[in-house]
Amino acid sequence: MSSHNPTSDFFENLAADAQPLEDEAKAPPSLKSRIYSALVRLQSSSGPLLGLRECQEAGHGLCVFEQLVRIAPVGERLKAMNPCQVCHARVLAERFDNAPIYWPHCPYVKFQER
Amino acid sequence: MEIFQQLVAAETGDSQAGVDSALVAAVLRKDRKATAEFVAKYSDCVYRYVRARLTPRLDLVDDTVQEIFLAAWEHLSTYRGISPLQGWLLGVARHKVEDYYRSVLRQPELLSDFNQDELHGEGESEIETSLDRKLLQEKAQRVLLSMPRQYSVALLWRYWEQRSAREMAAQTGRTEKAIERLLARARSQFREKWNNE
Repeated sequence: MSSHNPTSDFFENLAADAQPLEDEAKAPPSLKSRIYSALVRLQSSSGPLLGLRECQEAGHGLCVFEQLVRIAPVGERLKAMNPCQVCHARVLAERFDNAPIYWPHCPYVKFQER
Repeated sequence: MEIFQQLVAAETGDSQAGVDSALVAAVLRKDRKATAEFVAKYSDCVYRYVRARLTPRLDLVDDTVQEIFLAAWEHLSTYRGISPLQGWLLGVARHKVEDYYRSVLRQPELLSDFNQDELHGEGESEIETSLDRKLLQEKAQRVLLSMPRQYSVALLWRYWEQRSAREMAAQTGRTEKAIERLLARARSQFREKWNNE
């Protein structure tokens, strides 16, 4: 494109000027929730997730349901499953941007950014 | 090799590279909490990028952002920690956005009987460029929204993505001349709508 064309120059300036304004938009919490759910589903499809105990040892907090699963007298295979799959927090968070979920260490609560 | 790169990053004080590499390693281990952190940390920047590039088709933004993260997971093992993870992710996003641009520009062209005379005044345009930035952006969005999709995509790809007409032609299977004609028509229509607003 010729730099001597005022219209072309205008578009180049407009594109450059418009860039910083992109900073205002944020991904909606419901989208973040859906992305997270889809990612974990994809991870699970190729083998077990990292166990809850290992997650905790890596320095992450567990939510109340994950704690229950971690201490439950079940095999490691079950513990490596994703309890969020059957949790109402996930269902609410995937559908609403201000989901009424509040307990600590739940990833879906984290996406609400309160 | 990866350990070497992490050591180099640590030696050079590039702590962000170390943080990114650690996060990627945890996500690859299928640590669900790290995966949540990955989404929380990078979804805003990817969303902003996609939203700006898919205007006016904002209805496609959510699905595209999700596809980007799924594609990123599929290729995450190729991330070497040399560049910031955000840049790497935006690279994935750019490919996805360009998939969309390609699909639009490969469709049969609109206004094939376009009158070339309408382009003659293009070089003499006097477009107001002193508007406030925010107003400028809003007006640009409105004008792009009111244009045929092929025109808005052509302008976004050329000026916001800074791709040359030659690159656009190579990616869409069109000739460079055809892309230049499309861009000229798009600019002409943009200018007309801009001045009439």
